[in-house]
Amino acid sequence: MRRLLTILLLAVAATAFAGASAIEPLGPGDVAALLKPPARGERIIMLWSLDCVYCEPNMQALAKFQRTHPRQIELVTVATDSIAQRTRIATRLEAAGMQGYPARAYAELSPARINFLIDPNWGGELPRTIVIRADGSRTAISGELTDKQLAQITP
Amino acid sequence: MTYQSPIALRLLVPLLCLALLPLIASAHVGHMDMADEPALGASAAFDANGRLWLATVRDGHVVVQHSGDLGKTFSDPVQVNPVAETIYASGENRPKVATGPAGQIDVQWTEQPTPGWTGTIRFARSTDGGRHFSAPITVNHDPAKVTRGFDSLAIAGNGDVVVAWIDGRDAARAKSAGKPYAGFAFYYTWSTDGGKTFAPERKLMDHSCECCRTALARQPDGKVAAFFRGVYEGNIRDHAFAVLHTDGQANHPERATFSNWRVAACPDQGPGLAIGARGVRHAVWFEASHGPAIWYGQLDPGHAPRHALKLGGAGASHADVAVAGKTVWVAWNQVNANGYSLMLRVSHDGGAHFGEARTIASSKVAVGSPQLLERADAAYVAWNTSDGFRLIAIKER
Repeated sequence: MRRLLTILLLAVAATAFAGASAIEPLGPGDVAALLKPPARGERIIMLWSLDCVYCEPNMQALAKFQRTHPRQIELVTVATDSIAQRTRIATRLEAAGMQGYPARAYAELSPARINFLIDPNWGGELPRTIVIRADGSRTAISGELTDKQLAQITP
Repeated sequence: MTYQSPIALRLLVPLLCLALLPLIASAHVGHMDMADEPALGASAAFDANGRLWLATVRDGHVVVQHSGDLGKTFSDPVQVNPVAETIYASGENRPKVATGPAGQIDVQWTEQPTPGWTGTIRFARSTDGGRHFSAPITVNHDPAKVTRGFDSLAIAGNGDVVVAWIDGRDAARAKSAGKPYAGFAFYYTWSTDGGKTFAPERKLMDHSCECCRTALARQPDGKVAAFFRGVYEGNIRDHAFAVLHTDGQANHPERATFSNWRVAACPDQGPGLAIGARGVRHAVWFEASHGPAIWYGQLDPGHAPRHALKLGGAGASHADVAVAGKTVWVAWNQVNANGYSLMLRVSHDGGAHFGEARTIASSKVAVGSPQLLERADAAYVAWNTSDGFRLIAIKER
């Protein structure tokens, strides 16, 4: 009984706190590292926000895609909302089944500056999927990805 | 049922507490979220006496302050909603403030009543110079817990309060029936009794964009008109214009921009509208059919806008527009790696030609959307930043 209680306690504490604390801030000074080409395969950066109705389906499609190429694809979600909203962000990521993926959120209250640093030729529309390959090449796509677009970013 | 073992009892209480812990923790952290974030969503308006009114959100309350010295000093904040609510105030969400001819101060905001994409449009009025506000009322009659937001507020020429918003009820209904539905819908309502009650809301148009602010402006005939992003066939994110009739007349929303930007995305940038004394509809909007661009143009519903002018490209966002006589002002945020510039262009011939873009303010920290305001034919820009609210006077040139 006592062991059961301990397990319950740990489980409850984990669900209560793990999600929110796992989200790392992304400040202007962190953008270069995020955009650095990976050692192999490709890094997919999935930008989204709490307001965006197209974003969860897009990240779920990318997660499924990543699982078919687990060694070649590194998937990171980045919320353009302020990290001050980390609880809401964590709740939504969890509801979308994205707990297994590294998650970042902007360290500024308005997104435009970090948007610009990530990609000056992007107006902030979401979702935005950025693919960075080991050879340094990049592809950026706004909007929910079609199957054809997913095929185009296959490593 | 009458007997419980001591061990079971001893376990029951801590177990119940544990079961509730996530709820308590998330509620607490959720509240801290609101408290920690000095959300940048703010609105300002001048009254007939030239006093500036400012609405911001603090710790779940819309607070209103006024300034008699053009924003140098402000009165103590007055809470509008006595009971804390979860209030949308980031991105293009912001509380609204409008002043009326009898000195009333109207305040409106979107509450998130339950977690998730839900919204309730809320309204309160002060008739004693902002010292007290009426108990907030819910504007939308539909009680369904669906997405509502990006509300806008305007006072018609006859004093009616006109309120518009983006509403997800039709999309939710279609989804539960297994039918496709693009975007959300644009709804509006009005109050003829000083904001005590609002008429049952009318749907203006199916298939509005889901995540962009809406714009309202008063026409010379006193009616209020709307300009907002729609979703046209094939996921085209162009804008619609319509007069919002409050007298039973049929509404005729018409497509008013023709960029043909196709994207299954949230642009997160809604338009701006100002209507001149002769009825010219000065508008600003964002699209990214050939890379990000913000535009000025004069709406000619059903046709491409006249005098279309690209104001900015990469890094330009959230434009606003104002008009007085032949003078038209457009302001927007321009970002680069080092921070934000508040940009301005002015036309002295009713929008046919504009002077060069110039920087009228800058900020190293995060900024909200600029809002152009007029006072005795002079223009100002309300600009909320992480370092505080700023009112920037536009010097004639």
